[in-house]
Amino acid sequence: MDTQQAVAEGTHTDGQSDSKRDGQQQKFTLGPNDSLEGKLTYGGHMAVDGGHAEGEFRVGGNMDIGNGSVVKALIEASNVTIKGVVEGKLTARDKLTLGKAAKLNGDVQARRLQIEDGASLNGYVRMGDFEQHPG
Amino acid sequence: MIGQIYIEGDLRVSGIVEGEVEVTGDVAIDDLAKVKASVTGRDISISGHVVGAVIARKRLEVTRSGSLIGDVRVARLTIQDGATFSGKVSMGTAAEAPAKTTETKPPVVEPKPVAVEPKPVAPEPQAAAKPTAPIVATPVPPPSAVKAPTVPPPVAKAAIVVPPSAAKAPTAPPPAAKPAAVPPPATVGRSDGKGGKAKNQPKKGKPKRR
Repeated sequence: MDTQQAVAEGTHTDGQSDSKRDGQQQKFTLGPNDSLEGKLTYGGHMAVDGGHAEGEFRVGGNMDIGNGSVVKALIEASNVTIKGVVEGKLTARDKLTLGKAAKLNGDVQARRLQIEDGASLNGYVRMGDFEQHPG
Repeated sequence: MIGQIYIEGDLRVSGIVEGEVEVTGDVAIDDLAKVKASVTGRDISISGHVVGAVIARKRLEVTRSGSLIGDVRVARLTIQDGATFSGKVSMGTAAEAPAKTTETKPPVVEPKPVAVEPKPVAPEPQAAAKPTAPIVATPVPPPSAVKAPTVPPPVAKAAIVVPPSAAKAPTAPPPAAKPAAVPPPATVGRSDGKGGKAKNQPKKGKPKRR
């Protein structure tokens, strides 16, 4: 049921109000002055909005990496939307979206992939359903 | 179609293609097309099924219905939701680097040091060994300098040969210039060595074009 909501969200233009709407899942945001370093496992949504994050993030919900954010991490989430700079291996259980200004360096695994013009991507891409499940 | 195609212009594929496709202009691969080939072009739009490496000098677009399996080297990449894609992506600097980085311009620099170094060599021997032979010594280095840029490897050999001969006959004016030149020739030899290597690089780089 969560995924259905997530899909609906992904197809429309995503807004923060959208993700807040589904109250069951929490969301935490790293603002411009915040930084996170380490290993994180989190059930809700995660957003990096101008902040800096480094480490390993396994998120049950969606991951949003906004403009001006820098993330160096192993990332795993349902829907991943990138508008900032990301370095590291990335797994999107559902959809990965690279926005116009996105820069992604690293291998990617996603069920669905959307790359907007202007985005930059370097790495291996694998699409389709996953054999491996989050351990 | 099976085989290689080279087209100066644009190409639209609606059928089945296997082999190698190289197009100077744009490539459009339609919905029902099946391509098993490496594809090179400027703007490439894929709506059909493609298996093979893709190189787009400008832009690659994989539409909703498109599927692409293969490595990709592009300047700009757009993938619409619904498209399937698997492979390695190289974009931006990484994509352009292999094509152009090999070309450098050391050959231009080479003649300058060679020409300059012999000149200081001449005055040194004059001052050290024979102040009477400046007139003879000065004309001698120029020819060697002339030879240096045209045939780098021989010059390097000559520089090695010079010291012994110079040691044998220090009285003769031309050799006299050379013995004192013993330390400088070493530098000349090095610069020649660089020049020789540098000249090889462009040769390797150029023929890459088909």
